[in-house]
Amino acid sequence: MISLRNVWIVAERDLRTFLQYKFLLIMRAIWFLAQIALFGLIVNRMLKPEVELEIGTSYFNFYAAGIIITLLYSTTVFIGYDIYEEADHGVIEYLLSLPVSRKELVLGRSIGGGLRSFIYVSPMLLFVLYLIGVSNPLQFMVAFVSLFLFAFGVAGFSITLAVSIKSSDKFDILLGIVDALIVRLSTTLYPLVYMPAYYRVVARFNPLTFAADLFRWGAGIESAVLTSPAIAILGIVLFFSTFTFLGIVLHEKRLEGGGWQ
Amino acid sequence: MPPIIRIVGLTKKFGNLVAVDHLNLEIGEGEIFGLLGPNGAGKTTVLLVLTTVIKPTEGTAFIGPHDVTREPDKARTLIGMAFQDPKLLWVSTPWDVLNWHAKVCGLSADERKKRVRWILEELGLWGDRRKTIHTFSGGMRKRVEIAKILIQRPKIAIIDEPTTQIDVVGKHRIWNMIRALRDEGSTILLATNELYEADILSDRVAIMHKGRLLVCDNPKKLKDNIPGGDIIEVFLEKDIPKKSFEEVKKINRVVKVLATNPNHLKIYLNKAEEVLPQITEFFLKTRIPIKSIQMSEPSLDDVFAHYTGLTIEEAEKK
Repeated sequence: MISLRNVWIVAERDLRTFLQYKFLLIMRAIWFLAQIALFGLIVNRMLKPEVELEIGTSYFNFYAAGIIITLLYSTTVFIGYDIYEEADHGVIEYLLSLPVSRKELVLGRSIGGGLRSFIYVSPMLLFVLYLIGVSNPLQFMVAFVSLFLFAFGVAGFSITLAVSIKSSDKFDILLGIVDALIVRLSTTLYPLVYMPAYYRVVARFNPLTFAADLFRWGAGIESAVLTSPAIAILGIVLFFSTFTFLGIVLHEKRLEGGGWQ
Repeated sequence: MPPIIRIVGLTKKFGNLVAVDHLNLEIGEGEIFGLLGPNGAGKTTVLLVLTTVIKPTEGTAFIGPHDVTREPDKARTLIGMAFQDPKLLWVSTPWDVLNWHAKVCGLSADERKKRVRWILEELGLWGDRRKTIHTFSGGMRKRVEIAKILIQRPKIAIIDEPTTQIDVVGKHRIWNMIRALRDEGSTILLATNELYEADILSDRVAIMHKGRLLVCDNPKKLKDNIPGGDIIEVFLEKDIPKKSFEEVKKINRVVKVLATNPNHLKIYLNKAEEVLPQITEFFLKTRIPIKSIQMSEPSLDDVFAHYTGLTIEEAEKK
């Protein structure tokens, strides 16, 4: 029997720990603002008006909606680094000795990892919405909840990788490569129509594509969205379920009996 | 006292290394029980099995009625552990660490606030409660680690090396708090390689060496049971020649002689007061001036040396 109280207490710890990374949080916020104010604006000016006609909105709007998803992704994967940090400091042993079950512990970690980045990104997400303007609040709420699930899915994904690879250096390198591929082979930074056909095959099934397209749909810039909202929601639910489940099962398996050592 | 911890044929292997070898032990409710031995004796491994952090290779242990291999979740509800090396994230503050620990152990908000403040004040950390752990000295980190268990007040408190890195005043304060914890109803299992600490705190002690249990009893009985339980320590002005060292061993009622240094002898014997004149006469005759001489009862170090033939330091090196 899982105690929701225990799950929440474990998640709360991850939230509090995240707030201690003040430097990281400030830098990520500056990075986000620089991406919007510099890259987004300048590239928008470089592009011909035909592009705006083709994607149905300005590139700036398109990019602003996409960059928030990459920010959500990159802050959520940080939970994997926390797991290594805890292994280095022996904190895992401490967590395993506490009166919470292994399931409560790993579920709390997944929820904490997703929730903390979602909370962190929320003000920037609202800022982007202000820039774009929301036309349909109900539509936006659906997208908002889906992004919430997306964040949990990414936390599960990061935990799955972290517990599958026992070296923090290897994790760091792998995450760099995964980041390069998963962000660039998605519609976060550019529309699907400009990708070569063979990239599109992958990009269509990328969870970041689902999240970015859904967020754009929620923000009312539907013309830039090529994935149907229903498929995007389904894709995110599938991503969330798969990696939350995998993260919990692998994490639990690795933790039990000293397997993390 | 009925046993609240039962360790039954416990073995833990890490690859080819046998860290704990068929250990059997019972710890009574309300006891302060000392688990002694040099580093590498297997003490911490036993504690990690009891807290269900690692699984035994063979055998098991019971925490109250709960088998740690079958009901680990239930076993953990009775246990709290303070680790040898503080298990703290360096970005955290003592306030956050202790407040969260109290919360996860089920303390109400009011009780939490009260106990966290109390322990931080008692351990001299109140002024530093909002500083991050990375600014702390080793001793301060250790105090935060110990504080966890003192606010939790679990049914069974497991404390690994409670006072390493802590200054003398701090040690006495923590010893008193451990005693108070027992008086409030906790059973204390204390792992240490500081034998003096175990001697003054423990109702019973078990001595481990190379994963095995050597002996288990109350400290007084263990000391009384050493043949040649009295000790005369002789500090010499110069190193003793090998031949003279062998001759000391032959003095009547001398059971054993250890040279911790070539100019420092520990002579184990019976009726020390009667043999002392012979010993002083021997050194006068052999023209080895005595710097000082003292008589003492055996310590747990001597008990360890009696059972292993090694001092704690030698055992750690081996």
